[in-house]
Amino acid sequence: MLADPLTATFSALADPTRRAILARLSQGETSVTELAEPFEMTLPGISKHLKVLERAGLIARGREAQWRPCRLEPGPLKDVSHWVEHYRKFWEQSLDRLGDYLKELQAKERKQRHRKKSG
Amino acid sequence: MTSNSSADHQSKREFVITRLLDAPRALVFKAWTDPAHMKHWWGPHNFEIPVCRMDVRPGGAYRIVMRGADGVDYPVKGIYREITPPERLVMTMDVSEHSKEWHDHVKPNRRPDETNPAGEMLMTVTFKEVAGKTELTIRVLFESVEIRNSMVKMGMTEGWTQSLERLESELKKM
Repeated sequence: MLADPLTATFSALADPTRRAILARLSQGETSVTELAEPFEMTLPGISKHLKVLERAGLIARGREAQWRPCRLEPGPLKDVSHWVEHYRKFWEQSLDRLGDYLKELQAKERKQRHRKKSG
Repeated sequence: MTSNSSADHQSKREFVITRLLDAPRALVFKAWTDPAHMKHWWGPHNFEIPVCRMDVRPGGAYRIVMRGADGVDYPVKGIYREITPPERLVMTMDVSEHSKEWHDHVKPNRRPDETNPAGEMLMTVTFKEVAGKTELTIRVLFESVEIRNSMVKMGMTEGWTQSLERLESELKKM
């Protein structure tokens, strides 16, 4: 016998632990272990709650084992690291040039000071 | 209160680079805040700086245009947030005006309307004196809109939102 969606949702939300789990998941996907951490609960205990939430359609779980780590789509993450590498090159070269420029500046200053002394 | 939620941690990235420069702090700080100096070092090798406007005060804007040997311009702009001579500079950095080709190159899978691959960047530059030399540290905090969006796309968050919407509409019927 399947409960109507409203009943399932209400009973899923009626438990403070399950509400806390939902709050945590709204911040991003995570593993069952991480979810269990703030509560003094065993993994099977948390899994029971997750089942209720899943049946109510409030969460989706993968078919893999419990140890699903926080995972982002590889596409966007790859784009970001490509950009970061590009950005790092910019700074490596700019700072190389800054180093050279500072040497030049100080050499000029020393020459000017030397001229003043002997002038 | 700074949020340490995993969402924040995952959507923000910090980039850090440090150099020990053989020059006194005051001079290095000057190189960063005086356009006459800035145009001699900003940018990769073989780039010139045809435009270097800097209004160095909190809330002031800067605009630096780098030009490559091929004649293509790469404008960088931003606003100064904090200026504390000779130890600290904080400013935003915006590369949205870089060419479409450049954006295509660094972010081939971006959406057509996306011109700022790393979002607005917040750059903090610190100048630390170390035995007469200067330890320069650049920290850039950038938020990846792509990462943030991909997290929102994730099944769990969406599923929950949809369910609550359904709940809301059910409640309205009651």
